[in-house]
Amino acid sequence: MSEHVLRVTDLETSFTRDKKEIKILRGVNFAIRKGEILGLVGESGSGKSLTSLSIMQLFHGTTGKIVNGSIHFNGEDLTKMSESAIRKIRGKQMAMIFQEPMTSLNPVLKIGKQLMEAIEMHLKLPKNESRHHAIQMLKNVGIGRAEEIIYEYPHQLSGGMRQRVMIAMAMACHPNLLIADEPTTALDVTIQAQILELMKKLKEENETAILLITHDLGVVAEMCDRVVVMYAGQVVEEADVFELFASPKHPYTQGLIASVPKIGDNKEILDSINGQVPSPQNMPNGCKFAPRCNQAMSVCHEESPPTVNISTTRQCSCWLYATKDVKVNA
Amino acid sequence: MTSPTTVQNSQVQHTQRKYSPFKEFWKSFKKQKAALLASIFIGLLIVVAFIGPYIAPYDPFEPNYDALLEGPSASHLAGTDEYGRDIFSRLIVGAKISLMVSFSAVFLGLILGTILGLISGYFGGWIDKIIMRSCDVLFSFPDLLLAIAIVALLGPGINNVIIAVMIFSVPSFARLVRGATLNAKENVYVEAAQSMGASHVRVLWKHIFPETMSELIIFVTMRIGTAILAASGLSFLGLGASPEMPEWGVMLSSGRDYLGTSSHVVIMPGIAIFLTVLAFNLIGDGLRDVLDPKIKNN
Amino acid sequence: MPNSILKVENLKKSFQIAGGLFQQKQYVNAVIDVSFEIEEGTTFSLVGESGCGKSTTGRLITRLIAPTNGSIVVDGQEVATAKPSELKHLRQTVQMIFQDPYASLNPRMKVKELVGEPLEIHTKLSKAEREKLVLEMLEVVGLNAEHADRYAHEFSGGQRQRLGIARALITKPKLIIADEPVSALDVSIQSQILNLLKQLQQDYKISYLFISHDLSVVEHISHYIGVMYLGSIVEIGRKETIFNNPKHPYTQALIASVPIADPTLRKKKIVLTGDIPNPKNPPSGCTFHTRCPLASDICKQAIPEMKKINEEQSVACHFVH
Repeated sequence: MSEHVLRVTDLETSFTRDKKEIKILRGVNFAIRKGEILGLVGESGSGKSLTSLSIMQLFHGTTGKIVNGSIHFNGEDLTKMSESAIRKIRGKQMAMIFQEPMTSLNPVLKIGKQLMEAIEMHLKLPKNESRHHAIQMLKNVGIGRAEEIIYEYPHQLSGGMRQRVMIAMAMACHPNLLIADEPTTALDVTIQAQILELMKKLKEENETAILLITHDLGVVAEMCDRVVVMYAGQVVEEADVFELFASPKHPYTQGLIASVPKIGDNKEILDSINGQVPSPQNMPNGCKFAPRCNQAMSVCHEESPPTVNISTTRQCSCWLYATKDVKVNA
Repeated sequence: MTSPTTVQNSQVQHTQRKYSPFKEFWKSFKKQKAALLASIFIGLLIVVAFIGPYIAPYDPFEPNYDALLEGPSASHLAGTDEYGRDIFSRLIVGAKISLMVSFSAVFLGLILGTILGLISGYFGGWIDKIIMRSCDVLFSFPDLLLAIAIVALLGPGINNVIIAVMIFSVPSFARLVRGATLNAKENVYVEAAQSMGASHVRVLWKHIFPETMSELIIFVTMRIGTAILAASGLSFLGLGASPEMPEWGVMLSSGRDYLGTSSHVVIMPGIAIFLTVLAFNLIGDGLRDVLDPKIKNN
Repeated sequence: MPNSILKVENLKKSFQIAGGLFQQKQYVNAVIDVSFEIEEGTTFSLVGESGCGKSTTGRLITRLIAPTNGSIVVDGQEVATAKPSELKHLRQTVQMIFQDPYASLNPRMKVKELVGEPLEIHTKLSKAEREKLVLEMLEVVGLNAEHADRYAHEFSGGQRQRLGIARALITKPKLIIADEPVSALDVSIQSQILNLLKQLQQDYKISYLFISHDLSVVEHISHYIGVMYLGSIVEIGRKETIFNNPKHPYTQALIASVPIADPTLRKKKIVLTGDIPNPKNPPSGCTFHTRCPLASDICKQAIPEMKKINEEQSVACHFVH
């Protein structure tokens, strides 16, 4: 328990629309160890972004709320903490970077001011020391002319630079956990390569755990130690990254990996998955993936599958594996 | 995983119930209580405008020297005026005039303004500049002053009132539609239509104009209120309808002299004008809450 | 090239960004001296990152914008200098599919109007005849006839992209320009659409100009590719040749940067330094020299010419022969 930086158990999150409560996350379970990069993979409608927002408890102005489950960060349950207590953790021990750096950086504040704001609030350094710290952080993320950048505004920087600034802001207080929600999706491929290298380097230097949320299986294969696959608000498979790609167990994971075009594959026709993700208001009974699954059995349409421990490092929620050893994740 | 066929049948994911834009609109509009009430009032007013002459209890033109300046009573719901004519009947028949004048003026202004706005916003360049500068010239005059100037030029009378009100409505419509057109032009489906080879007329009519409609509808309802006030104002000044017509503004004007003694002669048409303009504004507000995309996205 | 459906030569496009009557005019060169050819029934992809000019090139070919210079010959007709009134044939022969399946379909039109619009513009068919063709086309792209009376927003992203494809196909064009057609779709839907496009190419002998930044997708679907950087093509040739043996340093870095969905293939990256330059302020000489590991003096001074190094590959670099 103590070596897990983050442990999410049976997390259920819902939104209210037209006075009806709609459950989006239906029991999410996973854990991240210190210094580990965990990939959270899913397509639209999987609930992966909502998972990160739930962990950070960023529901202001929306009707979202956690209705069940626990989120243990460094041993403490975030769902039971007050907003002020969480605010002390957010930005300091747990930080987040987003997909669109343009919308998460304040366009009317200079870069230096934004960076220093985070540093002053959490590290309680005086102004000149925090400016020095800010310049150092910018240099750490590979921004050569850091002394000039602190006087510039976000729109004067390129996408790659802005993302570096975001990473600098997130890492400024040496967090235990970095949540990166599609951090490179909006970037060009050669810039993406730079940012991913940077994240790996920072992880090594600081032993930060990273929750990397993405739909890009290539990024997952490059960066992650372990992978959690989500579908329709639930975790369907969790495994070590090499195991996952070598022999995916869940039919959704299999379909996903088979439908990605890979350079050098020489496939004439790509495999694909029939149908589309069900909307939260129209969830089928039983296994949520059953309507699209070509290995579905009759039990799949009736009952939700249990989570099966396939090995000490693998879990899968599928009736195909539940015959002998049905063990629900503790 | 699946058989690698390229073509699979896919289902529409949402409701099987048919979607209709009007049903969606009505669902939201029903919730606007004030606007709904106002719509009923205007609906009744329009009905009255049509059947007015048949349901008016008295002849609105016939004087009755035995019943001059009588206050509201059971026989004369709104009293009588200085010629003994029943005010209530005159209000009913006057409704037709007020509505007809304001509707025509606004409708004509709408058509002209929309065409100018579409051309201005879509083509840009020098034609945009010419149209917008001309509108600026018209804008620089206060509404009523402009209307008075036009009527002074053309001569008094109901038709010229319509023309005057129309002219000072055109710049507002043009500017509104131009703004909406500039926005609509950015839509990818407009580019798609152009790359398909659609003519400019087709692009404007099918792809850009519908985008401007929701703002236009809101604006039109507000504008009718303004038009009624303007027409009444002109008539009040003696520039519009002739004195024996039961036009509400004229009734206000001729009742001026009796304000101290038989104030009902002024108050009654005043209330009619007030309620009608208020109703149109409420409808406009309600429509805006339902249709305005900026509010919708909140 | 025999049976070429599109031949682009020395295409150039500059946009004026500042200046007017009394000020110095400033220009951005979005497309600089681009040349390529597409054979009937094949797919040519333009691939590159932001600012490379690939999307602008696509729009030049459909004449949504007019070229500053150069020649565009579509199905034998020169369209670069043609007057707008002469472009009717072009608009039937070349159709476009757009990136955003949500924005490229008019939300107020029913599906049958949307898909049938090109027919309304180009043919004199009656409403009933148009509808018949629309229903046929819906089946071809994997949708149902019952969808014809619905509105576009009632469909998912993948289905909407199918609608876009149906609309593009309905006039039986010879060339379809697909501008990032799968970038906005989920991976499992992306593969459906790519398979569909390939099938349609086989059935209808359509050529594609496929514009994309995603190298994995480009590798899957293309026959030939052109790699663009800051307005110019730096390498062009057969797909297999270029992916197996890229010669231009940018192509090499680009291919190496793509993360592969297989952890056993984690390779040493060629990580380029610096950002992609702003097209408003391009570097001198070879525009890639600011990030190129091979850069030397000649690169700063002279723009390299496109040289054919073998039957299937041409490269614009001072160090490649």
